[in-house]
Amino acid sequence: MLETRTLTKSFGPIHVTKGVSLRLEKGERRVILGPNGAGKTTLFNQLVGELTPDSGTILLDGADVTSLRVADRARLGLSRSYQKNTLFDGLTIGENLGLAAAVALGKGQGLWRDPLQSAEVRETVREVAAQVDLAAFLDMSVKAVSYGIRRQLEVGIALATRPKVILMDEPTSGVGPEMSKGFHRLLKALPRDLTVLIIEHDMDLAFDVADTITVLNYGEVVFDGLPEAARQSQMLKDIYLGAWEDA
Amino acid sequence: MFAHTPLRLTTLTLLAIGSLAYAFVAGFFGLEILAEIAILAILVIALDLVAGFGGMVSLCHGALMGVGAYAFTVAANEAGLGAFPAMMLAVALSAALAFVIGAICARSIGIYFIMATLAFGQMAYSFVFQSPLFGGDDGLSGAPRPDLTAIGIDLTDSRAFAIYAIAMVALTYLVAAATLRSGLGRSLVGLHHNEKRLRALGLTVWRAKATAFAISGALAGLAGCLAAQHTQYISPGLLSWTVSGEALVVVILGGLGTLVGPIVGAVLFVVLKHEISAITPYWHAIVGLILIAVVMSRANGVFGFVEARMAARKSKPVLQKANADA
Ligand SMILES: Nc1ncnc2c1ncn2[C@@H]1O[C@H](COP(=O)(O)OP(=O)(O)OP(=O)(O)O)[C@@H](O)[C@H]1O
Ligand SMILES: [Mg+2]
Repeated sequence: MLETRTLTKSFGPIHVTKGVSLRLEKGERRVILGPNGAGKTTLFNQLVGELTPDSGTILLDGADVTSLRVADRARLGLSRSYQKNTLFDGLTIGENLGLAAAVALGKGQGLWRDPLQSAEVRETVREVAAQVDLAAFLDMSVKAVSYGIRRQLEVGIALATRPKVILMDEPTSGVGPEMSKGFHRLLKALPRDLTVLIIEHDMDLAFDVADTITVLNYGEVVFDGLPEAARQSQMLKDIYLGAWEDA
Repeated sequence: MFAHTPLRLTTLTLLAIGSLAYAFVAGFFGLEILAEIAILAILVIALDLVAGFGGMVSLCHGALMGVGAYAFTVAANEAGLGAFPAMMLAVALSAALAFVIGAICARSIGIYFIMATLAFGQMAYSFVFQSPLFGGDDGLSGAPRPDLTAIGIDLTDSRAFAIYAIAMVALTYLVAAATLRSGLGRSLVGLHHNEKRLRALGLTVWRAKATAFAISGALAGLAGCLAAQHTQYISPGLLSWTVSGEALVVVILGGLGTLVGPIVGAVLFVVLKHEISAITPYWHAIVGLILIAVVMSRANGVFGFVEARMAARKSKPVLQKANADA
């Protein structure tokens, strides 16, 4: 469903992505682990087109999308959430989800009807609000809700495009352990045919939702396999223990 | 997102009733002022659409209005088109020009966007100023007013013209409000808040910006047609960036991103201008002081201030309750 071949990216002398090759099957839920600065977010930025790789190829559903622009890739069913909240701050939660759904449904340039009132958009907003537990907050302004709620909205907006592939960049970063657990329950309830790639810092939570695990370190894939194998890996423990001690 | 609050609907109703009532009782001078207000109102509604809601602060709206005025005059006088076809042509030309400017400037934001629109505006200004077809510095005279005698309306009469101009304000407002409630309008507001996210959601950002700018440009062009019909004389000064700057002042004075506020701003601005300039030639300085006071008060213009006060009054009980709970 989503594949990269020997993706590389440098910022000046710093090699942030070193020959990354990944392959996600349809419906696969993969977690990317890796210490701070490993290049996880940079990889996402290249996958969605916000950054151009120096070399390598990105395939979405078998088609080469490496040279497609961000909006074009989104229209092919690729969606992402951000590590740092990237919301429509002045709007309500419902308007945030509605706008995302409207744009994804191709109503973002229409001149005649209010897409927020259309049955399709309202239906999507209702469904997504249920998926990310925001049904009670739809009429509240983003500015008025807690950080945790905003974190849920961050993923909700990405889901409101009804994507084929969703990339989530540390969806639970900064929220408490209770909320994280709740969030992982939400993740597990997502439709099984949705392909999910999640960057996650918490190993236990990662093992909880992952079908497969990829570990990045200094821009390189150092592990790619099943969670059980990851759990056994001494190398992974070394990388992670080192990272935890640094942090 | 744009919505018609009770306060906005009430204000619109009062403006409509007030201006029409005044149109029936006013003398010649009052009617001239009314027409001036109406034309400015059209221009600032157009500007608020892109600047207030889309964050695209433009310094070329004067030029877009001027292009409309010149296109109308030339089409009516030189090409011999009727007044209404000439208006349509002028509006379409302003829209097309605005689309191109919007598309080219779409990549730049903030101060760079302002500077880019300023550059386009100045280009249009110098083109009109230099070209012999447009009478250069002398300008053009003799722009016709539409002939509505068939339905018993004589627009050469100041009263009829003022009412016609008010009707055009209403039309402009309806177009702007409908745009803001459309998919494009929703995207426009979204772009103001988070352009990067909208792109990631699949919006072709440049096209949305250019289309919104084109609609705004069409309305500015309409203001130009009316300006030409009103004074029946146009000069390159109409395209000057100071006209755009003045329009921006009026939008800020009234309340950015409220659509109704700028109309209130246009009324205040023109009335103040005439009242104060009757007393002192330094009326610009006085208007400047008022603008500084409005900006320093941190309120979103006069209308924004009233809106904020009403909202605060409404939400007070809730706040008190929250405090009591805590
Ligand atoms: N635009 C940029 N210009 C220069 N360097 C960058 C840029 N973006 C990221 N980097 C650098 O690339 C490296 C990888 O950054 P990235 O954000 O991808 O890491 P990450 O794995 O997401 O880390 P974290 O867990 O902290 O989010 C870091 O050293 C970072 O400083
Ligand atoms: Mg990161």
